[in-house]
Amino acid sequence: MGRGLKGLLLIAIPVFLVGWLIIYPIFAAILSTLFFDGPEGLRFSTASYQFFISDPYSRANLALTLWTTGMCAVLLLIVGLPIALYLRFSTNRFADLVQSLAIFPMFVPSIILSYALIRTIGPNGTVDILLNAVGLPKIKSPYLTPWGPVIGLVWDHLPLTVLMLTAGLGSISNSAIEAARDVGAGPLRVFWHIILPRMGNSILVTVSFTILGIFSAFTLPYVLGPASPEMMGPFMLRTFNALYDPLNAKTQAVISFAFCLFFGIFYVWSIARNQKGQSR
Amino acid sequence: MARLTIDNLRKAFAGTVAVDDFSLDVADGELVCLLGPSGSGKSTVLRMIGGFEQPSSGAIRIDGQDVTRLSPERRPTGMVFQSHALWSHMNVFNNIAFGLKLRRLSRAEIRDKVEHALELVGLAGYGTRQTFQLSGGQQQRVALARSLVLEPKILLLDEPFASLDQHLRERLREEVRDIQQRLGITTLFVTHGQDEALAMADRIVVLRNGQCEQADAPDVVYRNPQTQFVAGFIGQMNFISASVEGGRFLHPDFMLPVNVPDGPAVLAVRPEALDLASAQADQGAIVLRSTDFGSHIMVDLQLRDGTRLKAMTAPDQRWQKRASVHLNVGQFALYRDNHLLTIGQPVGGSEQAPEVEPALSV
Ligand SMILES: Nc1ncnc2c1ncn2[C@@H]1O[C@H](COP(=O)(O)OP(=O)(O)OP(=O)(O)O)[C@@H](O)[C@H]1O
Ligand SMILES: [Mg+2]
Repeated sequence: MGRGLKGLLLIAIPVFLVGWLIIYPIFAAILSTLFFDGPEGLRFSTASYQFFISDPYSRANLALTLWTTGMCAVLLLIVGLPIALYLRFSTNRFADLVQSLAIFPMFVPSIILSYALIRTIGPNGTVDILLNAVGLPKIKSPYLTPWGPVIGLVWDHLPLTVLMLTAGLGSISNSAIEAARDVGAGPLRVFWHIILPRMGNSILVTVSFTILGIFSAFTLPYVLGPASPEMMGPFMLRTFNALYDPLNAKTQAVISFAFCLFFGIFYVWSIARNQKGQSR
Repeated sequence: MARLTIDNLRKAFAGTVAVDDFSLDVADGELVCLLGPSGSGKSTVLRMIGGFEQPSSGAIRIDGQDVTRLSPERRPTGMVFQSHALWSHMNVFNNIAFGLKLRRLSRAEIRDKVEHALELVGLAGYGTRQTFQLSGGQQQRVALARSLVLEPKILLLDEPFASLDQHLRERLREEVRDIQQRLGITTLFVTHGQDEALAMADRIVVLRNGQCEQADAPDVVYRNPQTQFVAGFIGQMNFISASVEGGRFLHPDFMLPVNVPDGPAVLAVRPEALDLASAQADQGAIVLRSTDFGSHIMVDLQLRDGTRLKAMTAPDQRWQKRASVHLNVGQFALYRDNHLLTIGQPVGGSEQAPEVEPALSV
């Protein structure tokens, strides 16, 4: 009895904080976009959502956000998986260097990263100068195009991706892989038939984390992205700050939240399903 | 059909030489055990044969074909690993069928072969099980079936039963020996259990520090160990250090006529080759303890220079603790610097018990 009380006390503070700082504001935000004080009392209206759906600019912003998120997730897997595979299976000392390089972006604030990217691949940046020096034409800079944030976000999220994928690869024993080679599978087939099927969970976790992180990203899209359409993060801030329109800003936030919630539920559901499949 | 030839194999890792100038010829259908203490390079030899480790130098040939530089998937070898080698995302059937699928066999053929392989290892009807639904012994049988189903020329087993309990290990090694004989498959078996090697092998290769100490049939390795290391590694052995002077092995407690040059030497005697006889107090060795094993009695002795010995005596002989005894040495071997000097019965008659004289004080 005393122990039960102590246990409750231990989780009381986090539960309280989650309720107060996360759950309550979410419901408050959702309610405040649906119910309004009118002359004849509380009134229900979905007008702000209807506006969002009917407004081509808002829709374009949402589409851009989804595109950026999807593109980043795909690119992160394409870039991160080979690095993780290399880190897992290489035995030489060079691997340590690669590891630290792969983790390095985690310690760079995104604002510094943004300016670094502008100085290298922006107009008249390092790449242009080098190209110019050997008499080649300038690159078509991704700065202020949708590809700007994609490049920045991929760079920014790479460490976490690599760490999670490496952890997933760690669960595959060397003998399992050597046994596959022994029965005649070349490296590609080992990857396809032995490694990938066992990576399902960690790929799922990785993708979910990046999607959740990137969907609401702000700094990189704000600094590197195009002015129009813009990603949801900058869009919300501008609606709230520059247009003094808290209702629409909240509506945009709720819609973003709904998408993230959808990914979150999908993630929890697949993890639960996988665990059920593996338990005895 | 399948003959394995290993020539001057050598493998150096960053800091250590794991295998050094190792040569071996394995005849068709032979089962060879690689035996040695931990770190002696057994696994490294096996992994080089399987293609998982590149030799620093030397050559490996299977039926005369040089496979030294081939990758594992191109070698006609099948390996069974110590543990954790089944693919947990496939069921038993698919684990065994994977190699056949890679070879693009027809479905019916794959099914037949897998079922046959499962029968061979005594797991008929287990195809639909998931790997985590198997016991450790069953998992190793599946691993064995997975290798056998591809009909490799050389079967490589790296301590496949090390993680199993004694009982199961004994049963499985008999089964493996059985299957191996039936299929007539050339096999290399790594173990650091000497009884496993003695029970299974046609030939035992004793490794030490990456080098071959001796490669012979089990009874030869047991009766005629060529080095002091092998003598101590296989079976129980007593070692007595002293020196040879004028054709006699001189120890404070006894002496033995031997026909070798003078110098320091180590006498090696099996417990069963030591006979005890009562002695006057303060002479010979002292009995520390005697343990009755039913079929024989093991007597722990201490010589006056502190050397501990074990003697195996008939169950009707009882030795009191602290009793003094004379040693009658039967079959013995004499080593100097790990190498064999001589082996045999004491000079001067093989039937009667050798005469043991009291120590000469020189
Ligand atoms: N990948 C490696 N890198 C560096 N050294 C290694 C490697 N593999 C083995 N060694 C070294 O080579 C030597 C032989 O190792 P090996 O695994 O062949 O021994 P073993 O006889 O199989 O021992 P055990 O009975 O413990 O399995 C050891 O000293 C070991 O430390
Ligand atoms: Mg080993």
